[in-house]
Amino acid sequence: MVPRQPSAPLDPGVIRQAARWLALLHSGSAGPQDHDACRRWRQADAAHEQAWQKAERLSRQFGAVPPALGVPILARQARVNRRGAMKTLALLGATVSAGWLGYRHAPWPDWTADYRTATGESRDLLLDDGSKLALNTGTALDVRYSTDERLIRLQHGEIYVRTAPDGSGRARPFLVQTPQGRLRALGTRFVVSQLGGAQAATHLEVLEHRVEITPQAGGRPLILEAGQQAWFTADGVQAPRPAAPPAAAEAGDAPGWTRGVLYADRTRLGDFLEELSRYRSGVIRCDPAVAGLRLSGAFQLADTDRVLDIVAQTLAVRVVRRTPYWVTVLPRAG
Amino acid sequence: MSSHPTPAASLEALYEGNHGWLHQWLRRRLGCGDDAADLAQDTFVRVLRKPEELPGIREPRAYLATIARGLLNDLWRRRSLEAAWLEAMAALPAQAAPSPEEQVAMWQALQALDHMLGGLAPKAREVFVLSQLEGLGYAQIAARVGLSERTIKRYMAEGFERCLSLMD
Repeated sequence: MVPRQPSAPLDPGVIRQAARWLALLHSGSAGPQDHDACRRWRQADAAHEQAWQKAERLSRQFGAVPPALGVPILARQARVNRRGAMKTLALLGATVSAGWLGYRHAPWPDWTADYRTATGESRDLLLDDGSKLALNTGTALDVRYSTDERLIRLQHGEIYVRTAPDGSGRARPFLVQTPQGRLRALGTRFVVSQLGGAQAATHLEVLEHRVEITPQAGGRPLILEAGQQAWFTADGVQAPRPAAPPAAAEAGDAPGWTRGVLYADRTRLGDFLEELSRYRSGVIRCDPAVAGLRLSGAFQLADTDRVLDIVAQTLAVRVVRRTPYWVTVLPRAG
Repeated sequence: MSSHPTPAASLEALYEGNHGWLHQWLRRRLGCGDDAADLAQDTFVRVLRKPEELPGIREPRAYLATIARGLLNDLWRRRSLEAAWLEAMAALPAQAAPSPEEQVAMWQALQALDHMLGGLAPKAREVFVLSQLEGLGYAQIAARVGLSERTIKRYMAEGFERCLSLMD
C-alpha cells in the first residue's frame, strides 16, 4: 500500500514534474522511449505514482464529456470582460441570444459561418446559380456571390462541388478559398478538404475537367486534371498524384460520403479509424500494434458504433469504450 | 483544540457593523437584491468557517470584500457555465442527444473541469481543451490557434499543473 493518506497534499514540485511528463506525452509526437522514461519516473517514488493517479482521474473527467459539447463550453470566453458583455447584451435587447452566442464562440470562426455541419452530419446545398455543394462532417463555409465572382470560403471541413454554368450571362468564375489558397473551377466536379490537420493544408481531388490552384502566398498557379489529387499549403503545391483508385462502387462518381458510405479497400486500420473518427464525437485511439491491419468494405456512416462492432468482428481486435466518446482499438487479448 | 477565544462575539460585531454595507456593495455589482442577499450571507458563512482568522482582521471591509469578490466570481462562472451548457445542448444534433444519466455525468464533470480551468488565460484554456477533448496533437493545435508548438507545450504544462494542484 502507498504509505500516505489519500488526502495528503502532494509536493508542488512533484505536481510540476507530473505536469511536464503529461505535457510531453500528450504532444502527439512522444515516442516509446518517452513513455518508458515516464514509467520509470512513476515507479521511482510513491508520490510520483500518486500524482499520476490524479492525472488519470482528470483524464476520466474529460472522457465523460463529448467534445462537441465540451469544447464550446469549457473554452468559452464568457469570463473575459463579462461586465462589458452584460452591458452590451442589455443594449442589444431583442437580439440578445444571437449576440450572446456569437460572443461566446468568438474563438471558433465557424460558429458565424453561413453553413455548417456538426460532427457526423452532412448536408446538401443548392446555390443560386444551380451549383451544388455537399458538406461533409464538421464543415463550415461562407457563400459570397457577387457580380464578379462566385466565391465559397471553406473555413474547414470537406466539400464536394458540382458547379453549374453561370446563367447570369457574366460567366463569373467559380472560386473556393481556403486558408491555404484559392481554387478556380475550370470544370464541374471536384472535392476540397481543409481539415486543419498537422500540415494546415488543403487537399484537392478533381473528378471531372480541371481546377486551378493558386497558393495563398503567391507562386505559380497549377492546374490539376481530372483523376489527379494534390495537397497544397500557403507556400506551394505538392506534386499532383493520381487519385486513389476509387472503390468500384464510386468510380467516376461523387465520393462515398455524399451517400453516407465510407469505403475501404485494403485500407490500413489506423487510417480507416482516423477517417471514421471524423464522423463521431470523441476520440478513437488505435493501438500501433494493430494499426497496420487491412480491411475492405462499405460502411454506413449513420451508425459509427455499428462500424466499430463490425471492425471488431472482422479483425483480430477488440474495441474498448471507456466512455461513448473515448474509444480504443486494441489487439484481441489471448 | 483551538486556543482562540470563541469568535461569536466578534463575528456578531463584524456582522452588525458591515452586513448592510456588504449587501449594498454586492447589490451594486449584481444589480439584483436577492443574489446580493445570498452572497452576503455566504460571505459571513465563510468567515464563520475560519474562526481562527477573526482576531487578526484589521480592515473588516477589505477582508469581507475579498471573500465576496471570490464568491461573485464563482457565481458568474457558474451562471456562464449554465448558459453555455444550455446553448451547447440545444445546438447538438438530435441523434447525438445524451441520455439523462449521461447528462448528469457530463454536467458533474463539466463543473469540476470548469472550476479547474477557470484560472487559465483564455488562449491557454482553449489549447488545453482542444488537446484533452479533441485529442489533437500539438502541431495540429498550433496550426488551429496560430501559436508555436513550444507555446502549446508550455500552456499544456501549466494546465496540467493547475488541474493536478486543484484536484483533491
